[in-house]
Amino acid sequence: MKGAKINHDGDIRKPIINLLKAGLEQKIFDAVLIPMRIPSGESFAWILTQDVDVLDEAYPLPPVISVQGAKALSSLTRLGEADMKIATLMRPCEIRAITELNKLQQLSLDNISLFSIDCPGSLPNDEYMGDAEKGDEDFSSLLDNWNSDRIRDICQICDKFSITVSDIHIGLMAGENKDMFIIPNSLKGEKILEDLKMDTDQDLKNWSSLIEEISRDRKQKREEKWKEVRKEYGRADNLLNFLSQCIACHTCRSVCPICYCRQCYFESDAFKLPSYNYLERAQKKGSFRLPPDNLLFHLGRMQHMSMSCVSCGLCEDMCPMSIPISHLFSYVADKNQDVFDYVAGKDPDEPLPLTIYRTEELEIIPEMYTETHEERERKNA
Amino acid sequence: MKKERGKMPEGLKIKKKSSDTILDFLKNLFESNQISGVITLNRLSENGAFSNSIISSPEDLKFAVPLYPLMPSNAGGVVGHITRQCPFSVPIAVVLRPCELRALVELKKRNHANMDNLILISYTCPGVYPLEMMRDGKVNQLIDQYWNSIKEISIPQDIRPTCKGCEEFIPYIADITIDVIGNDDPNSTRIVANTEQGKDIIKSLDGESAEIELENERNLEMREKRREARKQLFEENDSEGLGFEGLIKSFGKCVGCHSCRTVCPICSCDLCYFDSRKTEYERKKFESEITRKKGIRLPHDTIFYQMGRMAHISISCVGCGQCADVCPVNIPVSTIFMKVGQAVQEAFDYVPGKDIEAELPVTTYEPEEFVEVGE
Repeated sequence: MKGAKINHDGDIRKPIINLLKAGLEQKIFDAVLIPMRIPSGESFAWILTQDVDVLDEAYPLPPVISVQGAKALSSLTRLGEADMKIATLMRPCEIRAITELNKLQQLSLDNISLFSIDCPGSLPNDEYMGDAEKGDEDFSSLLDNWNSDRIRDICQICDKFSITVSDIHIGLMAGENKDMFIIPNSLKGEKILEDLKMDTDQDLKNWSSLIEEISRDRKQKREEKWKEVRKEYGRADNLLNFLSQCIACHTCRSVCPICYCRQCYFESDAFKLPSYNYLERAQKKGSFRLPPDNLLFHLGRMQHMSMSCVSCGLCEDMCPMSIPISHLFSYVADKNQDVFDYVAGKDPDEPLPLTIYRTEELEIIPEMYTETHEERERKNA
Repeated sequence: MKKERGKMPEGLKIKKKSSDTILDFLKNLFESNQISGVITLNRLSENGAFSNSIISSPEDLKFAVPLYPLMPSNAGGVVGHITRQCPFSVPIAVVLRPCELRALVELKKRNHANMDNLILISYTCPGVYPLEMMRDGKVNQLIDQYWNSIKEISIPQDIRPTCKGCEEFIPYIADITIDVIGNDDPNSTRIVANTEQGKDIIKSLDGESAEIELENERNLEMREKRREARKQLFEENDSEGLGFEGLIKSFGKCVGCHSCRTVCPICSCDLCYFDSRKTEYERKKFESEITRKKGIRLPHDTIFYQMGRMAHISISCVGCGQCADVCPVNIPVSTIFMKVGQAVQEAFDYVPGKDIEAELPVTTYEPEEFVEVGE
C-alpha cells in the first residue's frame, strides 16, 4: 500500500484542514461536512459548509462522538438528488455505519467523497463535557498511546479502527514519528489526490504492520471480553437484572445510526394494548412492570439492528442510566454476523444477509435453534 | 365528580408511618374486593432498580414503595399509555405524585388517557432525586436525610431542580391525599378524603377522625421555601433561558435524541412531527441553504425541535423534570420548560391538571384574547 506522507508536528488538524481547503479551492468538491466545536465548547456538531474560513475552525477528529456521522450524512442525503459534490471525514465506525445505511437505502453516496481516519478511540461524552480542557489534553496524548484506558470501553476492544470503505484514508499510526499518511483508497480517491498533485508514492509497510499489530491485540481482548459478557448476561434472568435500571427512554435507539425507522415498532400502536391486557399479564405474575415490554424492546431492537451493528458505542455513551449496553449489543452483533459470515460495513457490494436466500442456511438454522444454552456453554468451555 | 381539594376536609390521623398506611389500605382494598389492581412504584431488584408496576395481588405489594423518592417514569404518562385504548373495566388504585396526577389529567383532556375506574391516591410531595442517583444506589444512603429534611420543613438537598422549585406539591383531584409534608410526626399518618369514594375508603381504616386542612401552616411554609428556590432557579438559568442567543447557548449541545420527548408525559403523539416526513428535506434544500449561510448543522432543526415541542406542550407542562434527567448531554431542559410553561400558563390563567373540567386554553376561544394578542 502506498500514500503521501505529511509531517504534522503534533497537530493533526492543520494538515487535514489544509487538504480539505485545497479541495474546496480547486473545486474538487463544493462543500465539506465536518465536526465543529459548539459555542459553549464542550461538544461538537456536524456542519456542512463551503466557506474555507469556517473550515479553519473544524475538528476533523473530535475527542468525542456527539452525533454518529452516518446519521448526519443520512439526514443530508436521504432524499432527492445532489447538486453539489460533498466531502466528509469520519471515524471508521461512522464510515462502516454509512456503508450499512447505504445498503439499507437510508442515504445516498451520490457525489459524496468519504475520508476515513485512523481512530485512537473516543472519550466518554459525559467525562468530556465535565472538563473539556482535560479531555482535549487526554485526547491529544492518545496518538502516542493507542492502548489508553481513557477511551470508552467499547473503543478499547475495537479492532476495526483503521482503513475501511472510503475514498481516501488518513493514517495516523506512525510510531515515534509525527507523520500522517494520505492514502488513496478508491479510484475516486486516487483521482482526488492526483488533482491535488499529491505524491502518493511513499511506502506504508511500517504503518500497515503497526495497524495489524494493534488490531490483532484488540481482537484478542475482544474475544476475552465476550467470554465475560457471555457469562454475565447469558441467561434470561441475568439479562432482566442487567436491564432493570432501564427507564425506557429509548435513547439507545434514537442515537443508534442503524436504527433508522421513522416510527419504531415498539412505539407504534402495536404496543398500545387495551388496559385489560396489562392487568391480565400482571395477574399471571403478581406484578407487571410499567412502562411495559422493556425487555422485548431491547431484544427486538437487537434483532432488528445487530446484523448491521458497527459497535460505535453511542447507545451506551448516551444512556442516561449509564447501562453498559454496548458490550451486550456488540457481542450479539459479532455472533450474529459470524453466523452469516458477514461483517457490517466491510464490503459495500456484499448484500445484507437477510435480503438473500441460501439453501444451506435452511439446514444450519434448525441445528442452532435446537441447541440448548447449556449445550452451547459446554461446547464453548 | 371529583371535587376540588380542601372542600371536603374529612380526614384521619393514624398512628403509623405514611408508607405503611398506604400499603395497609391498599391491602384492605384488595381483600375487600374493592380493587383488582394497584399501580405504584415498585422495588425491582437487588441492584437498586425501581419502576412503576401494576400489581394484582396483595402479596405482591411487598415490593411496593409508594413514597420512595424516585421517578423512573412519570406514572401519569404510564397510566395514560395503558388506558389509551380503553379504560379499566375494574377498579384500579393508582398512587401518584401530584405532578404525575396533573399529567394524567392533561392527558385525559387530550383523549390520551382514560380515568374511569381509577382510585386516585396522592400525597403532598417532598420531591424526588435525579435518576442517575438510582443507578449508583445513592438514594438509599440519603433516605434518612431526606425524611429528616421534611420533618424540618426544608427542601431536601440534591433533589431534582424542578422539585426544589415546585409549588404544586399539594394534589388537586385525588380521592385520597396523604399529607406527608404537613405531618410533623413521621410515625403517624394524616390522611384526607377529597371525594365520596375517598370517604368510603378511609372509613374502613383505624384512626382518629379529624378535620385536616391541606393548606396548613407546614405546607404553606414549604410552599414559601419552594417559591424562593424557584426564583433562584430561574435566575440561575436566566441567561440561558430565553432569547435567540440564549436558545443557542442552551440547546447548542443537543444531540437530537429526542429523549426529552419520549419520557415527557404530555408528549404523547403517536408520531412526533419532528420525526415525521415533514421535517425531512431534500438534499438540494440543504445545498442551496449553504450558499446563503456560512454553514448549516446536521442533523438539522435542533432549535426548531425544542421550540416546537415547547409550543406544543408548555401549556400543559407539569414540571416533573423527567426531560432533564434523561438528557444525555445534561441540558437543563426541565428548568427552561418550567419557566416557559409558567409564562404561558399565566397568560391563559391555567394550571395544568388542576381542574379536570377546565378546557385546554387552545381548544377554547375567548374574544378578549384576540385583543390581547393584537397588542
